[in-house]
Amino acid sequence: MAHTGEATRKHLPGDIAVWFFIFAELAVFGILFIGFGVARGLDPDTFSAGRAALHPWTGLINTIGLITASYLVALSVHRLRERRTGTALLLWGAIAASAIYTFGKLWEYADLYANGYNLGTDTFFMFYFFLTFFHFMHVVLGQIILVVLAVKVKKGDYNGDDMNGMESGASYWHMVDLVWLVLFPMLYVLA
Amino acid sequence: MLAVYIALMVCTMTPVIAMQAGADASVLIWLVFALVLVKALLLVDHFMEMKHAPAGWRLATQGWAVVVVTVLAGIHAVG
Repeated sequence: MAHTGEATRKHLPGDIAVWFFIFAELAVFGILFIGFGVARGLDPDTFSAGRAALHPWTGLINTIGLITASYLVALSVHRLRERRTGTALLLWGAIAASAIYTFGKLWEYADLYANGYNLGTDTFFMFYFFLTFFHFMHVVLGQIILVVLAVKVKKGDYNGDDMNGMESGASYWHMVDLVWLVLFPMLYVLA
Repeated sequence: MLAVYIALMVCTMTPVIAMQAGADASVLIWLVFALVLVKALLLVDHFMEMKHAPAGWRLATQGWAVVVVTVLAGIHAVG
C-alpha cells in the first residue's frame, strides 16, 4: 500500500490549466532568452557597453523585492492550508515587496530614457527594453492576481477548504519570479 | 522556508558583490550560471512546491531552467 500513499501525497499545486499557461509563458521567455544569448554572441562589444549603462544595484534591489514577495506568497499558501490567520496580511506584504520592483523598474526606464537610451539605440537595448517590459507586464498581472487573492481570503471565499485558486495564483507569481531569476543576471552581469 | 529565502538572497547578492569587487569576469560568469541554476531549483521545489508534484511536472519545471541556462552557457562557451 506504500505506493498508494505516495500517489496521494503527489499533488500539482493549482489548476492544471494554469500550468499549461505557465509552461506556454516559460517557453516564450526561454526562446527570447536564447535569442538574447545568440545576439550577444554575435556582437559582444555592444552588449558589454549596454550592460555598463545599467544600474546593477537597481537590478539587485528589484530582485530582492521579487524574491521577498515570492517568500511571502509561499508562506501565505502554507498559512491558508493550515487554516491559520494572517494569510491576507502576508499577501499584502507580498504586494508591497513586489512594488519595490515595479517602482525600481519604472525609475530605471525613466533614467535610461533621460540619458538617451530606447528600443532603437542598439541590439542590446532592443532586447533589454523588450524583455524587461514583457516581464514587467507579467509582474503587474501577478500583482493584480495577488490583490484578488488577498481580497478573497479576507472575505472568507478562500478559507483552506479548496486550495485550487490560491495555489494557482501563487504558482503564476512564482513563475514570474523564476523568469526574473534568469533575466536579472543575464542582463546585468552576463551581458 | 526561511532557510530557502536566505539561500536565494545569498545566491542573488554574491555575483553582484563579486562584480563590484572586480572579480575575474571569466570566473564570475560561470559562477553566475551555477547560482542561477541553484536559485531556480530552490524556487521550483520549495516556493512553487513542485517537490510534492508528480515527477513529470516537477521535471518539466526544473527542466526549463536547466535547458535555458545550459543553452546560454553553451552559447557563451562557443562564443
